[in-house]
Amino acid sequence: MNNGLSPGATEWLLAFADDEHIIGARHTSWIGLGPFLEEDLAFCSIAQDELGHAIALYELLGVDVDRFALLREPSEYRSAWLCELPCADWDLALVRHWLYDEAEALRWESVANSSLEQLRFLAARAQREERFHLDHAEMYLRRLAHSGAEGRSRINAGVASVLPTALGLWEPVAGEPEAISDGITAHSSPELAVLWRERVETKLAAWGYDWQWPTEGPNQQRRTQRSRHFAQLLTDLQEVITVDVDTAW
Amino acid sequence: MKTFEVFLKKDGKTQFRHVGSMQAPDAEMALPLARESYARRAEGDLMWLVDRDDLIVADDDLIAPNANKLHRHNDGKRVADHRRSHRDKEAGE
Repeated sequence: MNNGLSPGATEWLLAFADDEHIIGARHTSWIGLGPFLEEDLAFCSIAQDELGHAIALYELLGVDVDRFALLREPSEYRSAWLCELPCADWDLALVRHWLYDEAEALRWESVANSSLEQLRFLAARAQREERFHLDHAEMYLRRLAHSGAEGRSRINAGVASVLPTALGLWEPVAGEPEAISDGITAHSSPELAVLWRERVETKLAAWGYDWQWPTEGPNQQRRTQRSRHFAQLLTDLQEVITVDVDTAW
Repeated sequence: MKTFEVFLKKDGKTQFRHVGSMQAPDAEMALPLARESYARRAEGDLMWLVDRDDLIVADDDLIAPNANKLHRHNDGKRVADHRRSHRDKEAGE
């Protein structure tokens, strides 16, 4: 990739971009299936925001966005397994949405003063959008905590099911030290993971959910391994572009 | 779920316009959901939501008697004719 960035910076941005792309794709699969029409629109709008961030991040890498986003080998992606999870139940999708956006907010904060000018601009835009994303997730989680036994127990179960995989968001790519020394991002993944845990646990406690902090995350091997859900997801995402990869859509 | 009526206004001289209705669990959630349902392409700069329970709704009977009052649809023609004929008469004198 000819983008003037070091290999480490490139890989770090790639992981961020792939997370945004894959989570956006997973969120959009709720279109037409959300719990009610207005929520359907709101959630898909959030998904579009994430896809928009992905496009902007891929552009920083200097790639042909559509082909690059959709036509790589699985081993060339750097998405975290949390993003790849299907989350076929709404409660799981909601918990994943919240955990991801808490993490995403921290990542944008970490690049707010990046040495890369376009990334600083992008961070400013994304942070405005992320405030709405987090509010959106929290509105539901706050209400479900007091909505009766079913809502509460489903969110408790959702947190127990999704949280271990979510830890993988903070497994850095091999290039992260170089990205930090280049000034692309200010903080390491382990540093952000501490802040993230603090925010997540403070909110869960305030809402009154039960949780146990997991002892270990998924074995993503520095994000070079894809989860078992990825192959089918990629096939689905490629369904249109592979009809004719050279067509301008 | 509650039903809300949504109004949008563009900056400038236009008035608020009713753009539709929507459902939300409560007023706080209605705002962001209305934003995505009706203003995601920035169709308005200002937004009002009105809880349908708070609308003061008139009985049909209140308005119905006014349906048949042609004299309230004056297009000014009779008055204009009258004034013209008066003017013509004065000019003739």
